[in-house]
Amino acid sequence: MPTAGSSRIVLREVTYTYPGRRAPALDSVSYRFEAGKLYALLGRNGSGKSTLARCLDALLVPDSGTVEVGGISIASESDRRAVCRIVSMVFQNPDTQMVGPTVEEEVAFGPENLGLPTDSIRSRVDAALEGAGIAGLARRQPLRLSQGQKQRVAIAGAMAMEPEFLVSDESTSMLDHSSRGRVLGLFGELRERGIGIIHATHFMEEAAAADEVLVLDRGRVAASGPPRAVLGDAAAVRELGLDPLIATRVVEELRARGHAPPEEILTVEELVSWLRS
Amino acid sequence: MAEILSLESVSYSYPLPGEGEAAALREVSFEVEPGEVFCVAGPNGSGKSTLAQVCAGLLSPTGGSLLYGGEKVEGRSRLRALRKKVGLLFQSAEDQLFADTVEKDIAFGPRCRGVRGPELDQSVRGAAELAGLDLEAFGGRSPFALSEGERRRAALAGVLALSPDVLVLDEPFIGLDYEGRTHLAAALTGYRRDRGASIIVVTHELAGVWPLADRFAVMDSGSLLRVARREDLAGAGDELGALGMQLPDWAVLARELAALGAPPVNPSDPDALADAAGSVMGGRR
Repeated sequence: MPTAGSSRIVLREVTYTYPGRRAPALDSVSYRFEAGKLYALLGRNGSGKSTLARCLDALLVPDSGTVEVGGISIASESDRRAVCRIVSMVFQNPDTQMVGPTVEEEVAFGPENLGLPTDSIRSRVDAALEGAGIAGLARRQPLRLSQGQKQRVAIAGAMAMEPEFLVSDESTSMLDHSSRGRVLGLFGELRERGIGIIHATHFMEEAAAADEVLVLDRGRVAASGPPRAVLGDAAAVRELGLDPLIATRVVEELRARGHAPPEEILTVEELVSWLRS
Repeated sequence: MAEILSLESVSYSYPLPGEGEAAALREVSFEVEPGEVFCVAGPNGSGKSTLAQVCAGLLSPTGGSLLYGGEKVEGRSRLRALRKKVGLLFQSAEDQLFADTVEKDIAFGPRCRGVRGPELDQSVRGAAELAGLDLEAFGGRSPFALSEGERRRAALAGVLALSPDVLVLDEPFIGLDYEGRTHLAAALTGYRRDRGASIIVVTHELAGVWPLADRFAVMDSGSLLRVARREDLAGAGDELGALGMQLPDWAVLARELAALGAPPVNPSDPDALADAAGSVMGGRR
């Protein structure tokens, strides 16, 4: 298991243009992701979130600039094998990544491809199933599970690779509120264990709970920093094509009416507790 | 008003090879009125997507009946007629799109009905515009080379191109950004107003549909728990929470403000919420 902060992903001036397209999907993106932190990746549709996520896992190799993952500089798609020990991906639709006939075989798929000894695969699978809270589903068929259960199988599969980073490309978007809560709780536990989570999402309240927020717009880094700095100002958030948190919209209106609510209000709970004080 | 689409004790079971069958819907009954936005709300696995496919005539109930305009949908010809009246947007856009360009995909439905020439062009353009899809930019591209948000718009345009009287949308707001959600809400409002169409939205995420929906059917484990008007559901946060769903955060805020003594407000209006918050503050700054 990695120790907190031991590893990082560094992007320097990363530019990528899809074949046949004129505008770059990523345009000179520089950023540093540290292990042990939860990052929310935000941006309107087509802003480059999925492209960025794919660069972190060497699924895409930038046209220019560099991506360095745990000290490995990604030069070609053949670096994917080394990188996949460090970075695991979870996608929006878990159906697209299910291959195994049972949950445990599904979760074992990645470690088997690493050519690990059977004992080590077994212990990784058990730990991943336990960690994702789905040990009871080990012998079930993945495609017969609910969306929320499937997504936790996908995360368990990613965890069995014992990565230092987990990249989630809108993995919570198809989940209901309680399944979403369980997946986010799992992300929190992984972060405590020193794993870096990079979570692309449209749910602003998920971003409010992150350590750092990175906003892309037209392939560029439009804003980055702690949630309160990036998401606290409703007008600025709107400019980025994002949906301001309701508490920040009400704060904005209260300011316009001459009230002076504190700067740091981000959530409904914080707003209500200030109103009560 | 006479209902347009109604379900009478509809059940549906999926066959499981070697394992019997799995009940996805258990004796579900409700009526959808003309021009109504009707939301079917339920957690993952509650039978919503099956229900959407039954309403659109893609699955025939294994028990009970589906009625359209008061008549039972039975037999091939009635089923085929129903499919012309009801358009379904699948949860996953990949399940809907297949042509090699977005424009051909949108044109497929009307083309199958014999629409050609300028009329076809017009229906494709109209549908794309309504769905918020930039046809100039995306029309010539493969639907599979689009971002998820654009792909969802393309799939919606394909459904709208058929001008259905009843629009069934399975999780239409998922994966759309702020602009996309705002546009979709406006498009659905416009479509209902201009065509008098009924819209059935199937979702586990209440925030997107909340400002639009007249009534909500709450589902769990294949059963209908209740049908409620929006204002009645606003007080049912705990019940929804127990089912794994959540009221939109502005509805939660409105309820909290009311508990602090503010007058009731339209919760989807931040301006009104700020007025209510201001009233709670009294003379304080």
